Amino acid sequence: MLDIKNLHASILDTEILRGLSLSVKAGEVHAIMGPNGSGKSTLAQVVAGHADYVVTEGSVEFNGKDLLELEPEERAREGIFLGFQYPVEIPGVNNAYLLKAAVNAKRAHHGQGEMDAFEFLKLAKEKMSLLGMDPKFLNRGVNEGFSGGEKKRNEILQMAMLEPSLAILDETDSGLDIDALKSVAEGVNALRSPDRAIILVTHYQRLLDYIEPDFVHVLSAGRIVRSGDKSLALELEEKGYDWVKEAATA
Amino acid sequence: MNDRGLPMDALQRALSALPATALAPQRARALQKFQDSGFPEVRHEDWKYTDLSPVIEISKKWLEAGAPAHRPAAATDSPANTIDAHWLVIENGQISAHRLQAFEQQGVSVAKLSDSGLSETAASPLEDLNTALLHDGLKITVTGEAQKPIGILVSDGANSSVGVSQARVDIEFSEGASASIIEYHASSGSGAHFANSVVTLKLASNAVARYVRVQDRARHHCQTGRMTVSLQQHAKLEHAAFDLGGQLVRNDLFIDIAGAGASATFNGLYIAGDGQHIDNHTRVDHSVGPAESRQEYRGILKGKARCVWNGKAIVHEGADGTDAEQANHNLLLSRKAEIDAKPELEIYTDDVKCSHGTTVGQLDETALFYLRARGLDKQHATRVMTHAFAAEIIKQTPIAVLHDLIAGKVEARIGKLSETESE
Repeated sequence: MLDIKNLHASILDTEILRGLSLSVKAGEVHAIMGPNGSGKSTLAQVVAGHADYVVTEGSVEFNGKDLLELEPEERAREGIFLGFQYPVEIPGVNNAYLLKAAVNAKRAHHGQGEMDAFEFLKLAKEKMSLLGMDPKFLNRGVNEGFSGGEKKRNEILQMAMLEPSLAILDETDSGLDIDALKSVAEGVNALRSPDRAIILVTHYQRLLDYIEPDFVHVLSAGRIVRSGDKSLALELEEKGYDWVKEAATA
Repeated sequence: MNDRGLPMDALQRALSALPATALAPQRARALQKFQDSGFPEVRHEDWKYTDLSPVIEISKKWLEAGAPAHRPAAATDSPANTIDAHWLVIENGQISAHRLQAFEQQGVSVAKLSDSGLSETAASPLEDLNTALLHDGLKITVTGEAQKPIGILVSDGANSSVGVSQARVDIEFSEGASASIIEYHASSGSGAHFANSVVTLKLASNAVARYVRVQDRARHHCQTGRMTVSLQQHAKLEHAAFDLGGQLVRNDLFIDIAGAGASATFNGLYIAGDGQHIDNHTRVDHSVGPAESRQEYRGILKGKARCVWNGKAIVHEGADGTDAEQANHNLLLSRKAEIDAKPELEIYTDDVKCSHGTTVGQLDETALFYLRARGLDKQHATRVMTHAFAAEIIKQTPIAVLHDLIAGKVEARIGKLSETESE
């Protein structure tokens, strides 16, 4: 589904990704771990199409399409979802409006008609109840005045509504208490399916107790330095990241 | 005549064609004063960024044409048809007699200024011009609690040639009276037009006025407007102003806080595209304290739009306990747009709380990316963010029945602007 080959990317002339390769197939859950500054979030932003990052080398294919040719909105409509590490507060833009616009943009892209208001509301409320979100959040400004946990739940709500084929969740566990972490994990697990892939970008192993990955990759200095199964995450938890850094420079 | 004035003989003729009412002596005096001053000039500090030359040109051509009085075309989307209010109409400077006769609301009375007499405020050339050429104006007296908003529709049209019109409204609230007032400016027609309005609003103690001004003129028409408000003890003003149209627009809002415990909130939104110049000058005088004033104006500019915001707050000696807040935020959607934003605080007493903030910026790139990452295309995301910026002012509209109309107009205007290329 996602095929990244020898990816090099820079921001403000500083190279962050230095030859990263990764292949993700439908149905798989991958965890990308690594120390701060290793390039985890950059990878997520590059796949989503953030213009501040310049790809200098390599390729990214999504279901056989050259992803780097597409605008961020086209990538979203093709089925890529980025759960932001820091969801943006947008006062004055109604949460329900954004959800509906996002859903309908995707439907239009796939030649489907708009979802009617009744159907939309029913679906949104259903997904919200699953995530333990009060329906009143629909009428608030996007992430406006939301707590850290509420923002992350809101990201998962958007994901649940959009039903992406590839979800990249960037530090979705950061700043969450255990209850919020559990409901976010439930939301993600509910979306696991044979035709969908999930990439979890995380610093800590904690999230992986609730969302079990098929593969764990360790990123350091812009490259994947080790890959394994979930036991690798436990090893990292135990030993820390220092040995990874050494491995990268060795 | 200096080059900022108008030909006296033609002005005299225009004046003598007006109905011979009790206003005649005041017109003659005002004409003399206007001839001595002429239009305000850019070398005057308050007019530094706004050159009235187009207005002078229109006025001259209008006088040359014999000062014709046009009838504006009946607008199909007139707010008088859609907004539930008691509407009074001034068309090209003339009061609609049947609207005036039909007006009946408990706690409110309306008269012609030619019958009630005209209030005079601080000297100003534009007010003198207004008085000199005034056909007639409205006097609204609110003595009780008005149930329905009172609408004043100022509608102008210049279908074939040039037009000039004067609108004048004096409003008085008695002690404890309350009402919602809508001042709505619209214009149509392919000709050039200059509209000049003067409004006074006097609030006796404990009076409450909710006031919304909407300016939705054709984008080749000019308008100057002055509003003077005075507040006595514990009087309350909630004011919002929306400038959506017009080629050259200048609004002056003067607020005199003359009674302790009074409060004035005045917000504004201006949206300008290519070829539009919108200037908002506000001034609040805190003559006594404690009292509070809050203002927030927001502007959206695109193309070669030019806007001015000048907010002056003067806290006079002895006005202890004054709480004055002013803010002005501008969104520049193109490189060629220009805003001149100037907060001015003058404080002559110690026990005050004053703040001001001015920002000029572009849309938040992070938020735009966030919306695009959810599938909204760039134009849609831009439009949504721009509307959100405006929504902060729209939601403070103090007259609920206007909310949807204004939100709709603003959305349509932003939609139009987003279709044009940003330069």
